Amino acid sequence: MDSIVILFISGLVGLFAGMQKKPLLSIIIGSIGLIGAGLAAYFKGSYISPLSSYEAYVPTQGLIVILLCTVTLLAILGGYKRYAADNEHTGDYLALILFSLCGAILMAQPNDLMLFFIGLEILSIPIYVLVGIEKGSSRSAEAAVKYFFTGSFASAIILFGIALLYGATGSFQLIEIQSNLAIGIWQSPMAIIGSLFLLAGFTFKIGAVPFHFWGPDVYDGASNAVLMYMATVVKIAGIYALVNVFGQVFRDSYGFWIDLVSLIIVLSMFYGYITAWKQISFRRLIAYSSIANAGLMIFALADTHNSNLFLFVAAYAFATIALVVINSIVNDDTDSLVNWEGIAWRHPLIGIALVISLFSLAGIPPFAGFFGKFSLLWAAVPHVPYTAILALIASVIGAFVYLRLMMSALKKPSVVVRSPLSLEQSLVLSLTSIAAIGALYFI
Amino acid sequence: MALILLPLVFGMIAWFIPGNISRIFGLIASTVALAWSIIAVSYFEPNEHLLVDFGLRFVRFSVDSLGFTMILLTNAVFFLVFLSNFNTSIVHEKRFTALALLMQFGLLGLFTTNTILGFYIFWELTLLPIFLILYWFGAFDKPRALLQFFLYTLVGSLAMLLSVIGLMHLTNQQTYDALLAADLQSLGNTSILLMGGFLLAFAVKIPLFPFHTWQAETYTKAPTAGTMLLSAIMLKMALFGLLKWVLPIFDGNATDFWRWPVITLGLVGIIYGAVIAIRQQNLKTLFAYASLSHLGLIAAALMLQNGDTNLISVVQIVNHSIVSIGLFLAAGIIENRLGTQQLDQLGGIAKVAPHFGFWFAVLTFVSLSVPFTAGFIGEFFLIKALFNAHTFTGILASTTLVLGAVYMLKAYQVPMFGPTKVNSFQDLHWSELTVFAILSIAAIYLGLAPHCITDFVAHSLTQPTH
Repeated sequence: MDSIVILFISGLVGLFAGMQKKPLLSIIIGSIGLIGAGLAAYFKGSYISPLSSYEAYVPTQGLIVILLCTVTLLAILGGYKRYAADNEHTGDYLALILFSLCGAILMAQPNDLMLFFIGLEILSIPIYVLVGIEKGSSRSAEAAVKYFFTGSFASAIILFGIALLYGATGSFQLIEIQSNLAIGIWQSPMAIIGSLFLLAGFTFKIGAVPFHFWGPDVYDGASNAVLMYMATVVKIAGIYALVNVFGQVFRDSYGFWIDLVSLIIVLSMFYGYITAWKQISFRRLIAYSSIANAGLMIFALADTHNSNLFLFVAAYAFATIALVVINSIVNDDTDSLVNWEGIAWRHPLIGIALVISLFSLAGIPPFAGFFGKFSLLWAAVPHVPYTAILALIASVIGAFVYLRLMMSALKKPSVVVRSPLSLEQSLVLSLTSIAAIGALYFI
Repeated sequence: MALILLPLVFGMIAWFIPGNISRIFGLIASTVALAWSIIAVSYFEPNEHLLVDFGLRFVRFSVDSLGFTMILLTNAVFFLVFLSNFNTSIVHEKRFTALALLMQFGLLGLFTTNTILGFYIFWELTLLPIFLILYWFGAFDKPRALLQFFLYTLVGSLAMLLSVIGLMHLTNQQTYDALLAADLQSLGNTSILLMGGFLLAFAVKIPLFPFHTWQAETYTKAPTAGTMLLSAIMLKMALFGLLKWVLPIFDGNATDFWRWPVITLGLVGIIYGAVIAIRQQNLKTLFAYASLSHLGLIAAALMLQNGDTNLISVVQIVNHSIVSIGLFLAAGIIENRLGTQQLDQLGGIAKVAPHFGFWFAVLTFVSLSVPFTAGFIGEFFLIKALFNAHTFTGILASTTLVLGAVYMLKAYQVPMFGPTKVNSFQDLHWSELTVFAILSIAAIYLGLAPHCITDFVAHSLTQPTH
């Protein structure tokens, strides 16, 4: 709860600093707020909080809050150049991202479906605005409208699902819903349809097949700075909420939905990776890669008690942020993979971060992505062995998508162009690389 | 511990040194690593196990005498690769030096790791450097050939990953000794499947017959140093995995199930590789198929799981490293000096470069396994073991001697003594001369005294099995 308040206040202050046309000040305020929120989550319980009576409403684990804050910090640092260039809106970017993060923390591990829904909306609405923040660009406007309509539709479906569950069990509390379902109500059509609606809504929010279609267009229309936040935090919050709700509430109907979930995993991975293969635009490629990764994340549902989702989502988020930062160096206005040719030669740090991130996404040891994938599969194999085999086959295709990108980036150009990195970009790239290697010590 | 981490440290430093001294740095780094391992082996009691633990949960190390042999082999191979390429352009790139040292680290880790997941991690770790070396320095017209190599390798690796996960789940163990002690017999067909996953990964790397199609093109298009690394040491990862991990762990019905399929594929590889090699016009492609033929023999013999055969196959593994460094060095020298490897454009080199002619001949004879070279001991005993298993397999395996003579003599005779087509050929550089001399001495020494390897390795390979 403290984290949310800190974030909200620093968002507000940052907004005013932005109105005074002081982008640096507002980004510093935002960073301090994020670090403060992370610290508050880390030291939760070891100091007396004035808000302790509200603690029960936000049961999200400290570790997840820290992850969300770290990822957001990296995202705003990586996108700072863009915000500062857009002098009018620096404060808006920052405040919207911090407000949206409040929603992410609220919804990540809910114990009450109503609060969860509020968190979801707090998370989503700022992002609708962020996607369309470039008022001059028609692509941005198109993406915003698309995202808004489809996103609201998904919210409505989730809300409908919650209503049906309430109808079936008479409660919004996850624990009560679970105990009511356990006595046999889960077989009632109302509860089953409610759970399916929830599943559909979640699938939409994390962008897995069959509700993935908004992803490429929206990612393509959003700027790099927004994409960094959108492709990571939304997915992390969404997948944790999914795992939490399904693992807690619907564990008695496991046998009923696990086949459906397996189908979603397999379809997402194959569809995402195969489609990513032919992309010529970087942000679309990231969109399809994120569809496939969403599929992998859903593996956490196979065994919600033992799954180590944390490592995988962290590895995915860090690698994605590093790649988008690199993309923003060559492709701030355009967005073509052609510009990626020889990009690794522009700066040693770009080369190192790029190779590490791509290998991490491809799931090749010794980088964090491998350990993330390994711990997900480790928990899932005894429950859904065939899905795991298919997922591994799909990840071979995925490895090729990333290898192909890497080959184009590593091609030695005839004339080596150097491009200087700004301080915050080098910071983000080095931190993500260190995190990808350092994961070795946390397994 | 320093033994394993030394190349990694050197590899990190190599990124920061200026390009013009990178070849000297690479040579010094590999010499230090080799010297260190020689000193370490002199203090090493062959029957002990050195345990090294960095505090990681899934990766631990333990060095026994087989591991030490492979460490020595790896360090020697990297030393020879740096030395033999001292005169070529590739070592002027610090990227190559750094990646090669990183790869050395991966290999040392693979040969010493004590956990099954560690084996997988290091197996994959070597992919990164070899991919970058092949991509940056190889002469691939299209990325397709390179991607094919990676497609095969990754499919194999993922099959292995599934097997690793399955094995760890089913036995609840991860260290080598615990897996050896675990009872896999009771798993029945599951253990056959698990072993199949490992074998698929190994079959791609060794390579065995239907999985070899990446080999010829990769070897031909790769830079000579990359080909040497691939053939002299990377392929040995698979044989090592078979020898140390898979065969002892899956001893029983799984091995019985896979024995004859693998032996058959090995035999097909022996004959097929040799026959294709005879028809090749490109020197490196010819040696690539020769490699297919030689390694098929080792793989087939390993599957017999006979104690003495295992010992001899270590000798043959070392011998194959010697041969492949020597032959690919010769092919690389010809390519470097003349810009071609096509046999029909070569001829009469021995007249203008007598030193090269002599040493290439020595290596050719080593490769032909004439008596008093390591190859003779290796092939003789491996073929004998295959004869003992079945007369028919022995007969098929021994064709490698006859067919090998055909293609090796052709590969030597045409460029060196054929009608004169080459009028000027710079003779050997001192570094190349040194490498040839070291290789020849090693091959002859091992041919006369193979027991220095077999006695040493016997300490870890003849442990009581269940």
